[in-house]
Amino acid sequence: MSADFVPRTPGDLPAQFAIGAELPVLRRLVTQPMIDAYGHASGDLNPIHMDPDYSRTGPFGRTIAHGLMTLAFVAQMLNEWTDGHFDESGEIDIAFVGPVYTGDELTITGVVETVDFSDDGAVARVKLICKAGDRSILAGAAIQPISPIRKA
Amino acid sequence: MATDFQRYDDVAIGDIMPPDPIRFEAKAEVVDAFLKATGNDDPRYRDGDAVRRVPSMLASFYLIDLLNARRSPPGGIHAKQAVRFHRSIAIGETLHLQACIVEKYTRKERPYVVAEFEARADDGALVASGRITSIWGKDA
Repeated sequence: MSADFVPRTPGDLPAQFAIGAELPVLRRLVTQPMIDAYGHASGDLNPIHMDPDYSRTGPFGRTIAHGLMTLAFVAQMLNEWTDGHFDESGEIDIAFVGPVYTGDELTITGVVETVDFSDDGAVARVKLICKAGDRSILAGAAIQPISPIRKA
Repeated sequence: MATDFQRYDDVAIGDIMPPDPIRFEAKAEVVDAFLKATGNDDPRYRDGDAVRRVPSMLASFYLIDLLNARRSPPGGIHAKQAVRFHRSIAIGETLHLQACIVEKYTRKERPYVVAEFEARADDGALVASGRITSIWGKDA
């Protein structure tokens, strides 16, 4: 017979939530058609993202991706890590620390830094690691309550 | 043509933006466009369940509506973002969105505005909440 089991000690945690565990790695090559698709779908048509001619004279000298598009990649990775629980109870707190240009290959991942236990269960805090090549583009953390685990 | 941008000095802590909540419907075509644009082929959002699930970070679309509602002049920068999801949502649900200015400060001669937002379902239940930190666009 199976029952839901609330983790109360580090030994109760599945391997992917253990302190030091590395999260899945999501890679995305950012292209102008991708930025255009995100801009049209979201309604954010700011020329700094969408218009290469306009952007050539701006602070970056070329178009940059929407920061929120990068955040969508982060959420995608976190849902892979949690088998979809991020959608239900996850949290992100980040700063956009560097631009994402067309042609950048993004690497999105993280590492479990801490797990706090209480009567309600456990909460993992993840340091996010988001880079375009060697450049950091986003810094911050994700916080994920660890749902009851089904054990036989 | 006159623009309707808001000056930084006119933004006040406690301002509600917009005065009436924005309605955002998680339509299937909007979710499909989000999944396509972000290269997300997770079957979780496409399977044949009776209630089709919506990726939580569709929030990245309705946050743009909230950002636009503040009427910052062009040139602003989205500096930080915090968001917490309280439950998942399903295709067809309508969210009601509103933000409140909670902080203003200047750092390195850049004018920052911090707003807290909420996204609520039709029944008033909290679906998502968080904090948006922006550098205000340059006043004309």
